[in-house]
Amino acid sequence: MRRALVIARKEATSFFRSWSGTLIFAFFFLIAGIFFSLLLLSYAKLSFEASKTAYQGLEGIGLTRFVFGSFFLNFSMVLIFLVPILSMRTFSEERKTRTLELLFTYPLSDFDIVWGKFLGLVWIMEALLLPTLVYLGLIHWMGLTFDWGPVLMGYLGFWLLANAYLSLGLFVSSLTDSQVTSAMISFACLMVFWMFEWVAGVADGTVGQVFVALSPLSRYRNFTLGILDLSDIVYFCFFHFFFLFLTMRSVETRNWKG
Amino acid sequence: MVDERRTDEAIEAEAPIMVQVQNISKDFGSVHALDHVSFQIRQGEILGLLGPNGAGKTTAMRILTGYFPPSRGDVWLKGERLFANPNVVKRMIGYLPEEVSLYSDMKVREYLGFVAEIKKVSRRRRKPHIDDYLTRCGLWDVKNRLINQLSKGFRQRVGLAQALIGDPEVLVLDEPTSGLDPKQIIEIRSLIRELGKERTVVLSTHILPEVNMVCDRVLIINEGRVVASGTTDELEAGLKDRHEIFVTIGDRKMKDKAVELLASISGVERVRLVEEKVDQVSFALSATHGADPRSSVSRIFVEHQIPILEIRAGRLSLEEIFMKIVVSEKDSQNYL
Repeated sequence: MRRALVIARKEATSFFRSWSGTLIFAFFFLIAGIFFSLLLLSYAKLSFEASKTAYQGLEGIGLTRFVFGSFFLNFSMVLIFLVPILSMRTFSEERKTRTLELLFTYPLSDFDIVWGKFLGLVWIMEALLLPTLVYLGLIHWMGLTFDWGPVLMGYLGFWLLANAYLSLGLFVSSLTDSQVTSAMISFACLMVFWMFEWVAGVADGTVGQVFVALSPLSRYRNFTLGILDLSDIVYFCFFHFFFLFLTMRSVETRNWKG
Repeated sequence: MVDERRTDEAIEAEAPIMVQVQNISKDFGSVHALDHVSFQIRQGEILGLLGPNGAGKTTAMRILTGYFPPSRGDVWLKGERLFANPNVVKRMIGYLPEEVSLYSDMKVREYLGFVAEIKKVSRRRRKPHIDDYLTRCGLWDVKNRLINQLSKGFRQRVGLAQALIGDPEVLVLDEPTSGLDPKQIIEIRSLIRELGKERTVVLSTHILPEVNMVCDRVLIINEGRVVASGTTDELEAGLKDRHEIFVTIGDRKMKDKAVELLASISGVERVRLVEEKVDQVSFALSATHGADPRSSVSRIFVEHQIPILEIRAGRLSLEEIFMKIVVSEKDSQNYL
């Protein structure tokens, strides 16, 4: 397991050292800022209009729900674009540059390599997420009060969703030595998962229920609403392990594919 | 160059067996990349794997380094089964893959640090250990440079250094000199010879003279099978029928007489004219096995006052041995 940490550290460092890494980092921070600003402005506008018309309904929604709830829900869309770009490097790039061959001859198990790479991605995602706390601080500094509970729940949900997407991206990356192909396929898969909720909206009965149960987005929605359901956490854990397991199998194919 | 090879075969024969490859086969679908290959390497030996492209050299090396297990058969390192406990046994092996590819966004020292950590070099030993190999591989001056800024020769050195980190007892080098310029080739070869003094080295190559220069023993692989193995001398001795002697005389007018005299010497089967110039004529004699007519040639020519410029026993070059083995291999397959 300690070897996995060495790999993870290497993955994360080389990401932040690259130009694309710095760029992604900046963009993520910027887009999160724009999301927050727009949501705050529309909240301000709404509450101003509500005070004019003496409308009382807005209190039930509140800042936490309105700004943070919408933020996390909408911002998850960014993951569909971001994750393929992050994960395409892991195996595809190393296959292309043939550094993977050497990695397999080091005293490491496949488990170390797969987990190390996954952990590296998780760390990168966490590092991207961390600066968004600045916006929280800003909102707090502006004198607006919000509930920490649902906000933390939002972060937890976002983290779980991001990890789930990353595990899928990691698996796709292990299938091909082309980064572009890897990104495209990951993107397509994430889109399909994203559309599961729509299917649930169209199909009735059991089919609809199955799609809701399998949809990462409807699981994630609970977190943005501040609802902590054990089954959602179990779902995401299963999602991670399933794709990491597939990645392990995919890495093993070198034994018979060469 | 031949002198540089170690000839202390007596010691080598007694050295413990380091690598034992037992009857390994590797199939990729219906393709048999390796077919019942067996060989062993003693401690301190430099073994050259020779073969045409696609013969299975890289597959053999990948199995040896634990990249993937063989379909059948087994590899033993120092008496331990490689694939029974790969994470422990793999620490005994350092690997330099073909077209060495390294994490080009890392600095040399940082990269070696990463490798040292993976190879479980203890934290305390890490710094002196890395420093040692930086110096020995001639990388000290570039230790803080990014790997992608280095020349191919230096990158090859980094590749060697990463293989050496963790002090593996067996080095596996896949075409270590390919793509380098002549000066770099000479440097890398001497580095390999130097390293081979304390370690067991397996190297693959398609450059035949390299085997003569660097290796103690050769293993020729063709179409996934071992077709010959031994020292170059042994391989040559195995091809007895090719024993030839070259004679050059300095007088063209004596040509016919010389042919007549040469043919009369016992042990000479056939005389062939090789080259005729204004001031010299060369012949090739096929000698029967075991006979060495060189002294008779010089004696008779002196008696008849024919000026001798050169007499030498023609050695088969490794190219000839290689071609002969690989080609006859093909023939026998075609006709059987």
